[in-house]
Amino acid sequence: MDFTFTEDQIAFRDATRRFLMTEAAPEMLREIWETDAGRSPELRAKFASQGLTALSVPEANGGLGFGDVDWALMAQELGYYGIPDSLADTACVAVGLLAGLADDTPGRDTWLERVVAGSIRIAVGHPINPLVADAHLADLLLLHDKGEVHAVPRSAVDVRASQSIDQSRRLGQVTWQPTSATRVADAAKGQGLWADAFDRGALCTAGQLLGLAQRMLDLSVDYVAQRKQFGRPIGSFQAIKHQLADVATRIEFAGPVLYRAAESLANRRAHASVHVSHAKLACAEAAWLAARKGIQVHGAMGYTWEVDLQMFMKRAWALDAAWGDRGFHKTRINDFVLGDGASLGPGRNFME
Amino acid sequence: MKVFVPVKRVVDYNVKVRVKSDGTGVDLANVKMSMNPFDEIAIEEAVRLKEAGVATEVVAISCGTAASQETLRTALAIGADRAILVETDADVQPLAVAKLLKALVDKEGPQLVILGKQAIDDDSNQTGQMLAALLGWSQATFASKVVIAGGKAAVTREVDGGLETLELTMPAVVTTDLRLNEPRYATLPNIMKAKKKPLDTFKPADLGVDVAPRLTTLKVVEPAKRQAGIKVADVAQLLDKLKNEAKVI
Repeated sequence: MDFTFTEDQIAFRDATRRFLMTEAAPEMLREIWETDAGRSPELRAKFASQGLTALSVPEANGGLGFGDVDWALMAQELGYYGIPDSLADTACVAVGLLAGLADDTPGRDTWLERVVAGSIRIAVGHPINPLVADAHLADLLLLHDKGEVHAVPRSAVDVRASQSIDQSRRLGQVTWQPTSATRVADAAKGQGLWADAFDRGALCTAGQLLGLAQRMLDLSVDYVAQRKQFGRPIGSFQAIKHQLADVATRIEFAGPVLYRAAESLANRRAHASVHVSHAKLACAEAAWLAARKGIQVHGAMGYTWEVDLQMFMKRAWALDAAWGDRGFHKTRINDFVLGDGASLGPGRNFME
Repeated sequence: MKVFVPVKRVVDYNVKVRVKSDGTGVDLANVKMSMNPFDEIAIEEAVRLKEAGVATEVVAISCGTAASQETLRTALAIGADRAILVETDADVQPLAVAKLLKALVDKEGPQLVILGKQAIDDDSNQTGQMLAALLGWSQATFASKVVIAGGKAAVTREVDGGLETLELTMPAVVTTDLRLNEPRYATLPNIMKAKKKPLDTFKPADLGVDVAPRLTTLKVVEPAKRQAGIKVADVAQLLDKLKNEAKVI
């Protein structure tokens, strides 16, 4: 399988990386964390002007018409820079849901065009997540009710804030009443849309976790190269090198799993859901290990407020259980590998 | 008015470069390359002149290997209208670049060439000045403000004692300093549009220029490691060290 990215994909990633490197420095993230809303409208507007919100919106609606493989790269950048915004929820998961609606669904085209313009924030309430991210600021909420998809304006829902260990996440418990006026897809169509939305949400989370893992590794490498003990940088000691080498290995091995899942989802392969679960597990484990080893090599001060590592570490912990915890994803893989219908035995392989 | 903007592909400014073990140069294997930051400022200025209605066409030019196309695409994504690559695998030194640019200027007749004051890889700070000399044009280096009106360019330069403003007769060569502007980001839609913009390729021989190197690099070494500081017992000892060891007073 060819995991080589196209020149466009690499150019997009590099342009986004450069943009976020300047516009999302840790000092700015800390400032946003401390605001009441926890979000920066200016940053969101810059995302839109950069074209990030338009990435997977169909070209017919003014978007760029890219897809899940591109989001696998973008999500890593969002994770690496710890972006305090549910951009992927609006620009990837919600766009996928809206684009999947029937063409004549009232509001569909307007919402998609507003996503491109950056003038709408859409929160997605999938039943796997007990709380909805950024519901308090959303202009529109896409909510699940008995398999149906409902598009509900913020004014029609009640949001009770719930604090996360990661201050960059703003979660809320949403109470609302489904009506025929808010329904945009019935249960028959909605179930497929919600299944895709789940896989897309899990894929974006996996990408962010991998980006977070790389950031924590980079921060740790920087720290051990300058912190000295016994007259030498502590990074020169094997006990430290090995810890970080373990993290680097885990990251390297998680990358292809993430890209395979993205390719599988984009091309609607038969076992795309299993591939997504595999990616979520591999990336979560890389991020978890990067956080644990990061604290170790920082001599525990990585947990303190003053050191940037804590921002990325808490984000990794919070995302670990978002869009399905490890138990959920392991179960999906278990059903594929060991279930009664699994293709096991002589002459069979996992490609089937 | 047509504006030329030469751009150079260099090691990305975030990369910590390493000298090759044989001391012949900097190791470029698997190193991220980007547009020279001063050239980005030049492109931004040219695009702003176009947006202000002063310039009619912005042409980005690069001299180097085929990989320089990537740098030209970035220039096109920022807002240049078209690009020219003078493709060569040779090590093109400032004089060769200036000669190639002169040949293109003679061919296309721009009224203004804006380029970075220097490239961050060799820090030569020569190409702009050499080009102006070869063309016999006015030149203003280290520009921090450029105003073009009535066939003249008023260029503000940062000098030791403050600011100096020069008035140039067009056509002219201007080299950019860091504070001239803040370059915009290449947006994703513009990266897509850049793919459709024209990019012409020439060989140095097509332009009748010999790019053979005139300079030979003898040796490249890492900067000396900074020594650890020391504590002095009193002011007298400090003065003694400043006078006799550091020889700064």
